[in-house]
Amino acid sequence: MKNRLRELRDKHAWSQGDLAEQLDVSRQTVNAIETGKYDPSLPLAFRIAKLFRQSIESIFVPGKD
Amino acid sequence: MHSGAMMARYTAKDHRRQTWMVMTVYLVVMLLVWPYAHRVASVPLKVVFTLMAVTPVVAMIGLMARLVMHSDELEQRVHLFALSVATGIVAALSLVAGFLCAAGVLKLDGDILLWVFPALCLAYSAARWLFGRRYGGMGCG
Repeated sequence: MKNRLRELRDKHAWSQGDLAEQLDVSRQTVNAIETGKYDPSLPLAFRIAKLFRQSIESIFVPGKD
Repeated sequence: MHSGAMMARYTAKDHRRQTWMVMTVYLVVMLLVWPYAHRVASVPLKVVFTLMAVTPVVAMIGLMARLVMHSDELEQRVHLFALSVATGIVAALSLVAGFLCAAGVLKLDGDILLWVFPALCLAYSAARWLFGRRYGGMGCG
């Protein structure tokens, strides 16, 4: 799954640590989501969407798999 | 279970600090108290010495459970994968050793059981490092 997390985070000028703190996850988890190594659970995806005030589908885009 | 936004996260750093404290207690018990377990004849006293040695280990298992429960979803995934793999490896090795012992190939006494927990910790650390690498090195924390 692809996502626009990095782009959205850059728009807000947040570091991975800042975003991690707001989402109550580790910085490594933010990094793993941004690099596409980990797809977040639905509750975490909702928290991300709520934080950026966007819909989930506008942030997370299904990939080929 | 997650700690919630208002609470500071129980981090790997906190966990390491507390683990070091518990391990120091364990080391002190093993060096200063445990040797007496061989010398005393009283069985209740031997049981007391055994419980003294095991208590820090049980505390460490509690700390481990706390770390997993306060981890975020990806960290929990890594912890649980690593624990599953470590348990499988140690169980398989124990079974092999048990069968070899039963077949008379190996001669093992009860003391070998003392190595089960350290072997589990070692296998868990290795598995956690490996799984952590898949997600960008989070097993190293």
